[in-house]
This record gives sequence, structure tokens and C-alpha cells, in this order.
Amino acid sequence: MKLVRLLIDRLYDIRALNKLKPLIDAVDAAMFGPAETTEGGPHIVDNVDLKRYMSYVIVALLPATLASIYFYGWSVLRIIIVSYIVGGVVEVIFAIVRKKEIHEGFLVTGLIFPLVLPPTTPLWVVAVGVVFGVLFGKEMFGGTGRNIFNPALVGRLFITIAFPAIMTTNWQVPFTDAITSATPLAVYKTTGSMASIYDLFVGKTAGSMGETCRIAIIFGGLFLIFTKVSNWRIPVSYIGTVFVFAAIGNRLAPGSIAPPLFQVLTGGLLFGALFMATDPVTSPFTRMGKYSFGILCGILTVLIRSFSGYVEGVMFSIVIMNALAPLIDHIVLMLKYRPVKI
Amino acid sequence: MAHLITIFIAAILTHNIALTYLLGMCPFVSLSRSVKTAFGMSFAVIFVITLTAAINWPIHRLLVYYNSEIISYIVFIIIIAASVQLVEMIMERFFPSLQASFGIFLPLITVNCTVLAVSLFMVLREYSYIATLVFAFGSAVGWMLAIMIVAAINEKLKLIGDVPKGLRGTGIIMIIAGIIALAFLGFGGMVDIK
Repeated sequence: MKLVRLLIDRLYDIRALNKLKPLIDAVDAAMFGPAETTEGGPHIVDNVDLKRYMSYVIVALLPATLASIYFYGWSVLRIIIVSYIVGGVVEVIFAIVRKKEIHEGFLVTGLIFPLVLPPTTPLWVVAVGVVFGVLFGKEMFGGTGRNIFNPALVGRLFITIAFPAIMTTNWQVPFTDAITSATPLAVYKTTGSMASIYDLFVGKTAGSMGETCRIAIIFGGLFLIFTKVSNWRIPVSYIGTVFVFAAIGNRLAPGSIAPPLFQVLTGGLLFGALFMATDPVTSPFTRMGKYSFGILCGILTVLIRSFSGYVEGVMFSIVIMNALAPLIDHIVLMLKYRPVKI
Repeated sequence: MAHLITIFIAAILTHNIALTYLLGMCPFVSLSRSVKTAFGMSFAVIFVITLTAAINWPIHRLLVYYNSEIISYIVFIIIIAASVQLVEMIMERFFPSLQASFGIFLPLITVNCTVLAVSLFMVLREYSYIATLVFAFGSAVGWMLAIMIVAAINEKLKLIGDVPKGLRGTGIIMIIAGIIALAFLGFGGMVDIK
């Protein structure tokens, strides 16, 4: 240990390496833990600092990651590594140019992003998506804690629109190498038949890598909620709204709106509601704002799933609601703290 | 009735005039720094767009009747400018407080391209009179939604953001509008504008 400490201290002294200070800082922090307290958001009133906060999210994502490796093989790991390396390079370049620290927020983005991709995504598409997400979703706004949109979703949104053939048709069947099929939501939209609830729970259906094994996702999400890293209000109002809205809609228009339990268990809903909509930076900070954020997310998800040209609506609805979050906060604050007229 | 509701929703979501057609960008960029100004401007826009569309529709019919559609662009612009002036004069005389709150925005609307665009779309898509009114109102509400979202984001960025120097102002607004436009593509195919 002492040897490493000495080596890092020596690196700080070398003048030629001054430009690479953020990189050395990151190595230092990873080895010995940070000495400073947090400066920017996401703020929490607890003795947990930003670094621990992010590692809690990573721990919560582990079950889903392991499940996806189990179901889809080692190619999953390859995609995760590409995402980390390419995204990390963008992050490091920005930190060096703007003379800032490397933030550990990227560790979460770099893991969430591959988990929402189809298992057969080519590696260059992964690289394009993660570069776009980190660059335009995060660095343009000032880095971790200052972003308006969820960077992983911005990246996925971009490659979904840019390469629709790659992103919406090739869904690998679990435990196979090459066989592809449609996702349960797409099957419902074209033929009206539904996958069994058990298959959906365990993850034996086609879908994005990290979103199929619902049990692992629920465990991870509950872990985050019980450790109070994420707030329960958004996932509860989001999933609840989808359930209620689908129950009513299925009565009125059974042909186009799928039944409630099927809606909740298919697609990226659980993953999105538990890991992405709860992001404290991109969601409203007022209590009323959180409820309305979740409710509107739910309504948009069911509407886009049932009536638009896209099968899956979670990604679009969360990004749209990320954009609306500041306005929701503004309205809530205006209603609550109306200036008194004398 | 269902047709009218479809047009209204399409004008706000799937064919949003600011996010899908990227029209009305000059006030969109310059007035989206604070929610309050954005709110004032979008109310003026809603009012003027609906009014001018209501006037332009019968006049376009008249031009078609006399077989002189070729001058419709000029006529539309003159009518927009004239009606904005008229509205301003009426407001100055009867509602001075409202006029003061609109301030500079009202004369600025004359050069807002959304106003002309709505009149041209109404010709292109051959709307009936009622459909034109609904479409004009819906487009203006859609523009209001877009500018309010961006204004609120800008206010938040002023507090927490750390945008690179070269991108402050217009640059970051364009990036935000681009990402929102990408997300709005998700509504594609939901309702048709025709």
C-alpha cells in the first residue's frame, strides 16, 4: 500500500504530467478513497458521499448484469467493456481540457447504457451511442450532477433513431447464438398473443440485455429504495399509473392497449422506472413534482406503446419527462409559494 | 369532432411546429432565457396565430376565386403585419395594462415565421375553416409548450449548469431543442395531421 501511495505522490510532483492531473486524481481516489467532500449535485443529507452513492447504484445493477451474462453469454461483457472504455476516454478528455476532476457518475452511465441495448448490437454502434450520450447528454451541460437528460437514454435515443434496423429488429433469443425473434410487446402488437408471466419474470423472452430478467431488476430496485439512494415516489407512481391506465384502456380498446400486468412486466418499464426515472439529477426535486413526473411518464409510456410507430415507449417518455422536469418544479414552486398580494 | 381532436393533438405532439419543423427559432432562442418572458411571448403568439389564420382563410378563398393565388404570400404577410398593428392599437387604447405586459413581443411577432407557416400549412393541407382554427390554436400551444420547456431548462442551467464557454446562449439551446426533438419522434405515427 505504501509503495502505491509513494508512486502516486511522485506522479503529482512530475511537472510534465501536470496536464494529466485529473487522471492521476481518479487513480488516487479509486485506490485510497476521496479526501474531499462533494461540491455539486446530487445532494443528499446523509454521511454518504457521491462516490458511495454511485457504488450503491452499481451494486444494485449487478444482479441484472449477471443475469444478462447468464442469458446472452460473454458478448454482453464485451459490449460493457467497449462502453466503459470509449465513454471513459470522452470523460477523461473533457476533464483534462476543462481542468476538472473525473466524476464517478460515469461508472453508472457506462454500465446502464449497455444494459438497455439489444444483445446483438454491433460494437461500433455501442461506441457511437456512448460517445453521443456522454458528450451531448452530460459534458455539454457541465458533467455529472449538472445534466438535464439521462445520458444513457440520450445515447440510446440517438442510435435508435439513427440506426433503426439494427436497434429494433434483431432481438436475440436467450441461450442461443444466432436465433432472433420479436420482443413480447412487438408480438402482442402484431399477433395479439402474450408471453407467459413466468417467462417474463425469469427473463426467458427476447429484449434488451439488462431488462429481461425482471426478478433481478426488482431486487436491485428494492435495494436502492430501502437504502434510500433512490426515492420510492417516482417508481411507485410510474408503475402504478401504467397499471391503472392499462387496466382502464384495455377495457375500452382491448385491441390496441395490452392488459395491465403484461404492460408492467414487458419492455423496459421496470428497469426504466427503478433505475432511470429515479435519477435525482434529472427528475423534479419537489415532492408533488415527483408524483406528477411518475404519473405523466406512465401515461406517455402506455400511449406511445399502444398508438405510435414504436413498440417500446419507456425511453421516449423518460427523456420527454426529463425535459419537462424543470418546468414541473417551476410550476409546483409557483403554486406553493405564491407571492402574497397586499 | 374526432377529426378536430386528432388535428389538435397532432399539432401539439407529432407535428410540433417548433420541434418538428424547427420554425419560429429566432424568438425561440432569444426569449427562452426566463420562464416569465417565454410565457408572455407564447400568449401573444397564440393570440396572433389564431387571429391571422381566421382572417387569412376567407381571403385565400377569395384569391382562389379570382384565380390570383400567386400573390397569396404577399397578401398573407401584409395581413399578418396589419393585424398585429391593429391588435396593438386596440390594446393600447382599451387594455393598456395587458399591452404593457406584452411589451416588445407583440410587434416582434410580425417577423415570427410560425405565423406565416400556419397560414401556408392551412393552404397546403386544404383544411376547412373550423379545422384551420383548431390547427392554428394547436400549433401555437405546441410552440408554447416547446419554448416553456426550454425556458425552464435554461433557468435550471443558470443555477446548476456549467456549459462550455463557446456553447453558452444559442448553442446550448439548439442542443436542448435537438434532444427534445429526438424524443418527440417517439410520438411518430400516433396521429395524422391530414
